[in-house]
Amino acid sequence: MTDVVTLIFDIASFSSVMVLIVLGLGVIASMMGIFNFAHGEFVLLGAYTVYLSAAAGLGLWFGIFAAPVVVGLLGLVMERVVIRRFYASPIIAMLGTYAIGLVIRETVRGLLGGQYRSIAEPVTGAFSIGELNFSIWRTIIIGATLVVLTASWWMLIRTPIGLRIRGALENPMLARACGISTARLYGLTFAFGSALAGLAGALIVPLYQLSADIGIRFLVQAFLSVMLGGVGTFQGPVLGAGAVGVMASGLPWLVPPVLADPLVFLIALVFVKLRPQGLWPAGRT
Amino acid sequence: MNETESTFTTSRRGLLGGAGALAAAGWIGGTAGSWLLRPGWAHAAGPIKMGIATDITGPIAGAGNADWQVAQFTVEQINKDGGILGQPIELYLEDTASDPKIAVGNVRRLIQERKVDVVLGGITSAMRQAIKDPIVNRGRTLYIYPQLYEGQECTKNLFCTGPTPAQQCDKLIPYLIKTVGRKRFAMPSANYVWPQLLNKYARKVIEANGGEVVFEEYYPLDQAEYSATIGKIKDGKVDCVFNTVIAPGLLPFAKQLAESGFQRNGGVLTCVYFDENILNFLPANVIDGSYSCLDYFQAVDDPFSKQLTEAYSKRFPDTKYLFTGGSAATGTSRGIKFYEAAVKETKGDLHRDAVAAAMDHGVIANGPGGGSSMVPGHMHCTMNMYTAACKVVGDKAAYQIVDKADMVDPREC
Repeated sequence: MTDVVTLIFDIASFSSVMVLIVLGLGVIASMMGIFNFAHGEFVLLGAYTVYLSAAAGLGLWFGIFAAPVVVGLLGLVMERVVIRRFYASPIIAMLGTYAIGLVIRETVRGLLGGQYRSIAEPVTGAFSIGELNFSIWRTIIIGATLVVLTASWWMLIRTPIGLRIRGALENPMLARACGISTARLYGLTFAFGSALAGLAGALIVPLYQLSADIGIRFLVQAFLSVMLGGVGTFQGPVLGAGAVGVMASGLPWLVPPVLADPLVFLIALVFVKLRPQGLWPAGRT
Repeated sequence: MNETESTFTTSRRGLLGGAGALAAAGWIGGTAGSWLLRPGWAHAAGPIKMGIATDITGPIAGAGNADWQVAQFTVEQINKDGGILGQPIELYLEDTASDPKIAVGNVRRLIQERKVDVVLGGITSAMRQAIKDPIVNRGRTLYIYPQLYEGQECTKNLFCTGPTPAQQCDKLIPYLIKTVGRKRFAMPSANYVWPQLLNKYARKVIEANGGEVVFEEYYPLDQAEYSATIGKIKDGKVDCVFNTVIAPGLLPFAKQLAESGFQRNGGVLTCVYFDENILNFLPANVIDGSYSCLDYFQAVDDPFSKQLTEAYSKRFPDTKYLFTGGSAATGTSRGIKFYEAAVKETKGDLHRDAVAAAMDHGVIANGPGGGSSMVPGHMHCTMNMYTAACKVVGDKAAYQIVDKADMVDPREC
């Protein structure tokens, strides 16, 4: 019994990591039709912000709170300067964002000197309930994911800005005719998606290690999640990320771990083939 | 002129400085440049060119930088004492970047452009297998591999100066079973050749001593999530984890293991590459109480080793890259000394066949952890082996030696 609880906790914490990473990617893909191949590098920049903050003596917490702001602003600038030129051609956008990602990744690799850096959790250790041990930082990640999910959902569904975003998503022409500046909304959406990536990077880096490749590890799985969940909704990518997270951490129970990664892809691809609209099809309310 | 003066001359990118400046090499495509350590004096016959190919960047950099520093230190000492029969050694460094694909190109530069007389390096077995062909076969150059490894490397002109499975497991595992009293082993492993062959050997020793392997499984090297493994460790009532996961997967695995309370509930973590440098990879609380078995620990109490590590810390004060056994640093030092002894025997003849023939029966009287001698015809060497338990004091990992075996035979080839 205790093993089951621990397992559920571990799966929940890894799924939270996936959800955090996918949320920003999903928001941008759904709202703007752009598959942002630089998303992994935005995650990296979030992690790197924490490292810089710690190195500058500002502490880990400052870095964690600064990461979404820094990466969000960077996303805003990037949307203004580069991304908005790609809206008409999503394929070019993929290549363009891939190039941006590459520049960011190799720059950070240079700045880190090719080294891996360990970043400690701001709160280390584990707490026990009865015989069970739970990592404090993983608990915080689960909590933060829930808060971010709820806040994002609330913003999209309950606030005027959310209404405009949904309007612009449903019918951009009509939204513009109603006096909504879709250009501005897209800029904000991209910044918001980037900020989420930054936050994800800041939260996960203590679990792993800071290296230039931290984002790549998750990028392909994140795309798979969006595909699995379905583009065009808020819920789809989140569900997709949860499913991929559960499979990636749960499958090694059942099959040799080296087979788990390919198997996640296989299952997801078969699912998408049978159900192209994804877990949560667009157009449902 | 100061004979030990060491000048870093960057051959391609105008960077000056210590190992830290090597760092900036990551700028172009993750490949690094080449560095050169020139002796402060010359000899009519020119210098002996020694190539070091090690992981200055990437996940294994915590060990590779130690090897590079130890190589500099050892060569500087040899040059200070007049070189090898009056000929100084010139050191060339190429970064293997923890990535065999990058490494092969860089190592080729050592052979083709630098025309080095010998290459030392490679840390993981994946790296050794990638670079041995460009060095030994196509490059026709002598190769010394300094890291502990899985054994069965019997290539001509390739000498292994690190511990073999027989040297590491034959004492450690019986100690864990009989003295520490752990019987149920788990073998979480990175999916490449070293863990696979080492586990095969270790499993035999475990079973022969009355222990049991609960599970043995392999992960992609960069796996980030180990919930299922931790679950199996609990489920199977494992009391000893024989780890062969390496960086970058090592940190998430070790952290998850410690957070699960494995050690707190009496479990023992053991890993044959853990040494005083492991703090470059893992936080202290994760390794406290773990066991290792290596050719040298800083607690070894012989005057020569003490003097050696003291001189090293004087040369690299406050460095985080220590002169240790599990990072291939002792193997690097031993390899250079074997090479020195061999060239002395050939009277300065640097041709590969002559040096290899002399190395084949090489003996070095002193070294970190004790002397060492090549087993003729086997390309591996005997060495003292120490079983030790890790105790973290402050921010340092200290190892207490609990068992020692003298001049253990490598039992390879």
